[in-house]
Amino acid sequence: MKSFIRITPIALALGAMAFAGSVYAQTIKIGIPQPMTGPATQYGDQIQAGALTAIEAINAAGGVNGKKLEPLLIDDGCEPKQAVPAANRVVNSGAKFAVAHACSGTTVPAVNVYENEGIVAITPGATSPLVTDTIKPHFFFRTIGRDDQQGPFAADYIAKELKPKKVAILHDKQTYGSGLATQVRDSLGKLGVEVGLYEGINVGDSDYSAVITKLKSMNPDLIYFGGYHAELGLLLRQAREQGLTTQFMGPEGVANADLVAIAGPAATGLLVTLPADFTKLPGNEKILEHFKTYKRNPDGAFTMPAYAAVQILVDSIKAVGEDPAKVADHMHKAAFNTAIGKVEYDAKGDLKEFEFAVYKVDDKGNMIQLNK
Amino acid sequence: MSDFIPQLVQQLFNGLSLGAIYALIAIGYTMVYGIIGMINFAHGEIYMIGAYVGLVTLSAIGVGSGLPIALIIFIMLVIAVLVTAVYGYAVEKVAYAPLRGGPRLVPLISAIGMSIFLQNWVAIGQGARDMAVPALITGAWQFHIGEYAVTAPYSRIMIILVTLVLMIMLHFYIKHSRLGRASRACSQDLRMANLLGIDTNKIISFTFVVGAMLAAVGGVLIALAIGKLNPFIGFLAGIKAFTAAVLGGIGSIPGAMLGGVLLGLAETFAAAYISSQYKDIVAFGLLVLILLFRPTGLLGKPEVEKV
Repeated sequence: MKSFIRITPIALALGAMAFAGSVYAQTIKIGIPQPMTGPATQYGDQIQAGALTAIEAINAAGGVNGKKLEPLLIDDGCEPKQAVPAANRVVNSGAKFAVAHACSGTTVPAVNVYENEGIVAITPGATSPLVTDTIKPHFFFRTIGRDDQQGPFAADYIAKELKPKKVAILHDKQTYGSGLATQVRDSLGKLGVEVGLYEGINVGDSDYSAVITKLKSMNPDLIYFGGYHAELGLLLRQAREQGLTTQFMGPEGVANADLVAIAGPAATGLLVTLPADFTKLPGNEKILEHFKTYKRNPDGAFTMPAYAAVQILVDSIKAVGEDPAKVADHMHKAAFNTAIGKVEYDAKGDLKEFEFAVYKVDDKGNMIQLNK
Repeated sequence: MSDFIPQLVQQLFNGLSLGAIYALIAIGYTMVYGIIGMINFAHGEIYMIGAYVGLVTLSAIGVGSGLPIALIIFIMLVIAVLVTAVYGYAVEKVAYAPLRGGPRLVPLISAIGMSIFLQNWVAIGQGARDMAVPALITGAWQFHIGEYAVTAPYSRIMIILVTLVLMIMLHFYIKHSRLGRASRACSQDLRMANLLGIDTNKIISFTFVVGAMLAAVGGVLIALAIGKLNPFIGFLAGIKAFTAAVLGGIGSIPGAMLGGVLLGLAETFAAAYISSQYKDIVAFGLLVLILLFRPTGLLGKPEVEKV
């Protein structure tokens, strides 16, 4: 009798869960793990804005094959150690699809989870080649370019437009930053531009004056930084304090409003390579209206890629049904018309083409696209 | 290289100002250790809270409010010191006082727990994003050695001066005031001091409060000089300051200063003449070496095990 009493609530609870499960089977769950806390929160915000707007717009138009999409927001903090738990939460929630991770550092370990569990995941933010090169995934895709597309693009711009005699490259020793810095260094080498200094700095340090004094004596014509805005902001501010006025350049990871807040006037004139501004892409007028309807900001490097990720998932589900294996097969074969233009995938889930552009920070902190 | 000497001077200043930052936080560690023989691992978080209170005060006043900058900084310091002192008091009462007299490891774990709690407390309250601190103290003092202009930003000079002044004040407080004498008695033998009629609980609370106040001053000034805050800055700052305190001899106030400056110089010169990638390796290698030859740190006294 006693054991019966003990078991009953558990049985009831299990029954309730099974019941709950059957109710929610009427929706298609999409896991959205991204940083909701920590210094990279801004990128998570952009992904949420893009993915949630797409999901709400699609639900408002009747959903997919009569089912609504159900977003599951999960926090990965942009920390590698939280990546696998976050991916496992997607698995445990029963979602078969995901718009997953902003940072390369979290995406690289998480890819294995999606691949092993057969979950179709698309990252709108992770640009490291390691994401797809290490295990050549079948279930994992991107709606953003790779560093070895961005790195050579930046190097090309440096060599052909800026024509510096000597370049210094700094990076933050992380997957994303050092990967990109290596790409830029190697491409510059091929283009015949001298890289006088290549060095890593510590994330989270508050004082970079030693490195800046060193740069000052080396006197390069351009300093490229591979990493995120928090470190570059301090570098810029402390460089100007020491009277170092060299042109700085960085990747999309540095390009956001927080950079300008930290660096202040020192951010003016900074060059960044970003995905081209997809909000100006012809054919996106309707998508911009959705952003207005749901009161979200369409700006930001990862917003439109996140929107596109949902579009691609939905198009594929419409075409071949909800079986993730079939969806993945379909995605490798088909071409999609999305918020970031026409999308086609190669065998390991990378975009066949992706467009970058160079932006300059003006004295009000806005990023203005430069015409080539 | 004709620029060698002026660059050396510039790096020397860089190292000194970084060292002063470490020293300013290290005094808090060393003082608490000197009196109750316990490492307060939440000290880095107290420093972070001081910086946040300063920033919140600054936003409340508004940078463009027309008040003179010196007055704004003074108000920031006063409010940060007061609020943070309350935190220091509360942390001691909640996390350490109930565990006093237990095994030494217990308050250590409790301190680490407190530090994680405070990080997340601020992360929830203020958001986890990096916050920018407006540059109130701008400009720099420059002098030329040959062609090369050596630059010393005023914000950094201020940190060096404030660290020195606080250290001297603290020295006199410990050596010459009544409370200071009672603190020294506690640091020699807590139970005996109690038997002789010193309210040891009060002294310990007071120590934590003073430690928190010092951390708040550090937090505000360093935040103004660096210009960036997030709820997790206390961890790294705490580890470095703790290292500085150990290097100088934990429990010794001039030792904290010496340790901080040494650590700052070691990091700066490693970054300048080897590579910034190796600066922590060099700095912490130095720590291991010094501790091998002087286990009590540079200015620490050999500890007699208390019975």
